[in-house]
Amino acid sequence: MTDSPVDAAFVGLLLADARLPVGGHTQSAGLEPAVTAGLVGDGEGVSAYVASRLATVVRVEAGTAVVARRVALAGGSPDDLLDVEAHWAARTPSPALRVASRRLGRGWLRLAARVWPATLDHLPPDAEVARPVVLGVVGAVTGLAAAQVARLAAYDDAQSVTAASLKLLPSDPVAATARLAAAGPELEAVVAATAHLTHPAAIPAAGAPMTDVLAERHARAPMRLFHA
Amino acid sequence: MPEQIPTRALRLGVAGPVGTGKSSLIATICRVLADELRLGVVTNDIYTDEDARFLRSVGVLPADRIVGVETGACPHTAIRDDVTANLIAVETLEAEQGPLDVVLVESGGDNLTATFSPALVDAQLFVLDVAGGGDVARKGGPGIARADLLVLNKTDLAPYVGVDVERMLHDAGHARDGRPVLALSRDDDASVAALADWVRRTLAAHRSGDHVPVDPGPMAPHTHGEAHAHPH
Repeated sequence: MTDSPVDAAFVGLLLADARLPVGGHTQSAGLEPAVTAGLVGDGEGVSAYVASRLATVVRVEAGTAVVARRVALAGGSPDDLLDVEAHWAARTPSPALRVASRRLGRGWLRLAARVWPATLDHLPPDAEVARPVVLGVVGAVTGLAAAQVARLAAYDDAQSVTAASLKLLPSDPVAATARLAAAGPELEAVVAATAHLTHPAAIPAAGAPMTDVLAERHARAPMRLFHA
Repeated sequence: MPEQIPTRALRLGVAGPVGTGKSSLIATICRVLADELRLGVVTNDIYTDEDARFLRSVGVLPADRIVGVETGACPHTAIRDDVTANLIAVETLEAEQGPLDVVLVESGGDNLTATFSPALVDAQLFVLDVAGGGDVARKGGPGIARADLLVLNKTDLAPYVGVDVERMLHDAGHARDGRPVLALSRDDDASVAALADWVRRTLAAHRSGDHVPVDPGPMAPHTHGEAHAHPH
């Protein structure tokens, strides 16, 4: 479907919309436990938190999505894509984060299977597959370029943090949007670092141990606004 | 004749403002029907998993049959605009604990306008309580007007808060154009039996294919005293 008459930019906008019904509103991209732990307390802290993710775990996500797109474009079977997922899992040490990503991926897959049925040529139906893998396959069947897929993965993470910050911290929504816009160069750096990747072994393995520790702590916390 | 008789559980939504007794009502349904029906519960909460823990603590169901879903501080979104997290939770509960007869989905206590999407539940009840004021039913709204059942809860408190239950029932009946209304107190066995009967009848209709999920819908067009009605 790469010769789709619909401009891929339209699909990109659709997928980036926070109103997309994939359960995104249940996610804070780890901001909630970071706030609870006292590591992020204001807008400056949110900016630093976004930057730290863009430098580390988001590169794993974006790289996985780009490689999944490539494998799907090459006619990859569900087993081929699950192999990409295994490479993602090896780079995602926290079980809680793997669970959260797979739950989100299942939501993405449900949506994609109905809107773009060709998604199911490459992924098993209604499976719990990590979100970046599903994102990459959707990018392949809708004609998104590798850079668009990487940018989408990075933007979705930064926007999840930004939207959650409005619930978790005293915030001016316009100031929050200004901070998100200011993260543009860091976001583009993720695109530059990942858009050319083709092989699962090349997916970045940039870990952030505190992200994993906080995610595990959050999964056991009795009071949560966000799933992860 | 329906083409497909549903084999999955009846998904029954419980909505209504915060504090009206949704969790308590679910505990009551479980208490009276757990021996007869295989029940599961999915709770939504502002702070997960307060309601799930309450329901586990009262011991009306095995703990594994009760799951809490985080809503990102958007309980209304989770039951209407984006039901993904709830739908996956319901399906996972059925897959892991099933087969089940009824899965109760409790909304996070939100406001008078929040109702379930028919994409998530087959039927829904809307809960008000007498302590919230006798005029609430008259104010209407999608849940009050068009939920499959309206429950006026905590009728035992009516004498203490100066509410005329008969009057409130009359107002509710008027707002609902004849749809059923139930005055409930968990200490009034007859009212609890009537609630259990409604659940049984709804389940039977769901199984026979006679039940058609109805969307209570958004706020109906209404007036603020101007000459013309307007939607918003």
